[in-house]
Amino acid sequence: MAESPALSPASANDVAPPDAQAPLAVPPARGAWSLSPPENASATGDRIDALLARSHGFDLALAAVMLGWLLLAVVRFRGARKVAPDGGTRRSRAWVLGLALGVFGVVDGTLFLGSEGYLRDVLWNFRVPTEDPRTVRIEINAHQWSWEARYAGADGAFGTKDDVVTWNDLRVPAGVPVWVQLVSTDVVHGFSLPAFRVKLDAIPGRVNQTWFQAAREGAWEAACYQHCGTSHYRMRGVLTALSPEAYAAWLHEASLKAVQGYDADDTAAHWGWVWRTP
Amino acid sequence: MKAGAFLKSLWTTDPQRVARQYLWGGFLFLLVGGLLAMLIRFQWAWPGQPVPGLAWALPESKGALTPPAYTAVFTMHGLLMIFFAVTPLLFGALGHFVLPLAIGAKQMAFPRLSPFGFWAYAVGGALMLVSFVVRLGPASAGWTSYPPLATPAFTPGLGQTLVTVAVLCVGVSAFLYGLNFVVTVVRCRAPGMTWGRMPLVVWGLFYGAVLNVLFVPVLAAATGLLLLDRVAGTQFFIAGAAAVGGGGDPVVYQHLFWLFGHPEVYILILPAWGMVGDFVAFFSRKPAHGYRLTAGAMGAVTALSGAVYAHHLFTSGMAPVLGRTFMVLTLLISLPAEVMFLNWLMTLWRGSVRLTSPMLAALATMVVFGLGGITGLALGAVATDVPLHGTMWVVGHFHLTMGAASFLAVFAGLYFWFPRMYGRALDERLAKVHVLLSAVLFIAVFGGQLVAGYAGQLRRLYDPYQYTFLAHLLTLNRWTSWAAFALGTVQLVFVVNLVRTLGWGRAAEPNPWRVGTLEWTDAGPGAVVLRGPHALSQPEVQEQLGRDWIGQAEPLSSSKPVVEQVAPPVPGVEGAV
Repeated sequence: MAESPALSPASANDVAPPDAQAPLAVPPARGAWSLSPPENASATGDRIDALLARSHGFDLALAAVMLGWLLLAVVRFRGARKVAPDGGTRRSRAWVLGLALGVFGVVDGTLFLGSEGYLRDVLWNFRVPTEDPRTVRIEINAHQWSWEARYAGADGAFGTKDDVVTWNDLRVPAGVPVWVQLVSTDVVHGFSLPAFRVKLDAIPGRVNQTWFQAAREGAWEAACYQHCGTSHYRMRGVLTALSPEAYAAWLHEASLKAVQGYDADDTAAHWGWVWRTP
Repeated sequence: MKAGAFLKSLWTTDPQRVARQYLWGGFLFLLVGGLLAMLIRFQWAWPGQPVPGLAWALPESKGALTPPAYTAVFTMHGLLMIFFAVTPLLFGALGHFVLPLAIGAKQMAFPRLSPFGFWAYAVGGALMLVSFVVRLGPASAGWTSYPPLATPAFTPGLGQTLVTVAVLCVGVSAFLYGLNFVVTVVRCRAPGMTWGRMPLVVWGLFYGAVLNVLFVPVLAAATGLLLLDRVAGTQFFIAGAAAVGGGGDPVVYQHLFWLFGHPEVYILILPAWGMVGDFVAFFSRKPAHGYRLTAGAMGAVTALSGAVYAHHLFTSGMAPVLGRTFMVLTLLISLPAEVMFLNWLMTLWRGSVRLTSPMLAALATMVVFGLGGITGLALGAVATDVPLHGTMWVVGHFHLTMGAASFLAVFAGLYFWFPRMYGRALDERLAKVHVLLSAVLFIAVFGGQLVAGYAGQLRRLYDPYQYTFLAHLLTLNRWTSWAAFALGTVQLVFVVNLVRTLGWGRAAEPNPWRVGTLEWTDAGPGAVVLRGPHALSQPEVQEQLGRDWIGQAEPLSSSKPVVEQVAPPVPGVEGAV
């Protein structure tokens, strides 16, 4: 099985294939010292980013109150003469319970509601990719240590002669839902697209799925976040978001190449599964 | 001492001597684990560069960490720190020392289980050390040892097998002291030592011991089945193309592992919480605010601890109904933690604060635990967990809670009980310098990890800068590493203090901290406990005895008994007896 990206069917295309080993031209580094997540390239990522930012706002406020209270108490009451000989009054204990409930309600409540909304609308809402006729489906098979991606090709069915297979080279059209189903051949891997706020385990023996949508054209990195052996740190892929026309042209070309290069005896290359609509 | 007598002294049923054995064992592994941490930090600051002084260990690369060496280093760092350093120091050393004394028990409930547990731990520790130098390499599947990576097909080294056995050994040890502690607290308390008069540290150790008894067997199940997969050709956790014909499932291991692994966080932190609660009261010269609420909150955390574990699996493709359930449960556990934390702050407020070294360490524990807890909130909700999962944010978060907080609590306890343990007083100034610098540097190191993680840096990468979107984090990581090296160096202050004290230290006063708990005011056999652990600054006591504390079993010759401030029972909170 050809494992080198250079031999992938995509290499003969007009769109130059990204070299999975070469650095990417990413936008200027964003604050190494500030709490800023990686650049967002997803159409829905701003919702997570906003929720995270709000959560970290709470974090900062809570930390400030905690530290302030503690320092003030230590400074102000250090070696104080007179202290209460009891473990608080009914009222002071009620205050503790009330304050805890208040903080819990506001901080955890915000996180819960924001998270739940995102889950309902995006993360676990597979109606979006199912119902959108433009949706692109990709099957990803994780290996030690590369991402093998499969596209259905011109006939729209997986596991046929015209399947397009790429290594560490994901191509998607911008502005269209991308529906990913994911397995692993060997160990547990973690498929992540940091710029798309996507993260999902690739587990031998089961198919996991997620979806995302690229907000614009460009190239971003795919990474493995689950320790998968010595070369885990090099399990890097590149995701290129093309214009829908460029994507269609690429897929058409690559699909023709795939039919030409089809080798019936190469059983290892024949994988893929039928998608059941949920 | 003659060899025979020495060997005989190694098997001791005296819990205080077992405690000292665990103390030295824990320190040994803390040292090894800490040095491994320095290697990880070096690698992230200067990827692939030769580590000064390491050429003897890695001659082929002239001392530079190679990817296989690096995976072994972080695997062993995690395993050693959790199983062989922090847990044994908290339970094995401080627990065995203080638990029987503080409840007025004459002995542990099962005295011979204590040395048996210690030797199971020691055998496990020896296997861990041996695993560095065996055929086909040391363990390298991460401390979680997820299969199929941890099976021989992908990690063939004998080291991985030895480490699996070592974890089973330490599991036996943890189960035995857990069982011993639970039964000792339930059955062997001195007369009058009611549940409502136990020091909070006893509550913490008790709850932690309950978790040991409940969940260490789950770890043993996971590890045992993994061991069978490794040596007996079974396929419990092997599925897909990696399995020849098996119907195993790697996710089952993840569930078993985290059903132990998450309560383990509380096993580590509950004794720490107990110490903070006690020390804040002792050194504010004031009863713990809301004692029953605090003990109840610790009980609530204990009860919930096994029900939140699957937030470690939010990205494993779990069913939405499970994901939502565990999100709610995980967020819920922050409520009792807040109650407890506010009680500590209220105890400080209007107290008479004495910044002794145990108090400084307890306050430092509060701060690092607070920061760690706060940074965990975003990991409890599914949507915010997804971008942070598997990044250095998680690493920073759990190092603050179970690394820094339990480390500082170990030192709070050690500085507090050392005079009682060894009859000598550690130098207060050195102890304070050690605690303060450690706390500040902990926050610097793990704060740096939090920032790197928020910027997207994944954990366990040999060379994070392979990814373009992480390349700009090199400077940050280098500064974090410098802070880590400083943190490592600061530990020398403790070593100097320890050596000086054990060699030339002055004899300690019998009750240097002027507190009333039984380990300091042992009234001898048959003593009856009369009051709670924090009877400080009671007016009657000050009037009659001229001091602001009174022993828990010390009678006050007055017609007016010391009034214990009784809080109303909290409905629905377990443990508020």
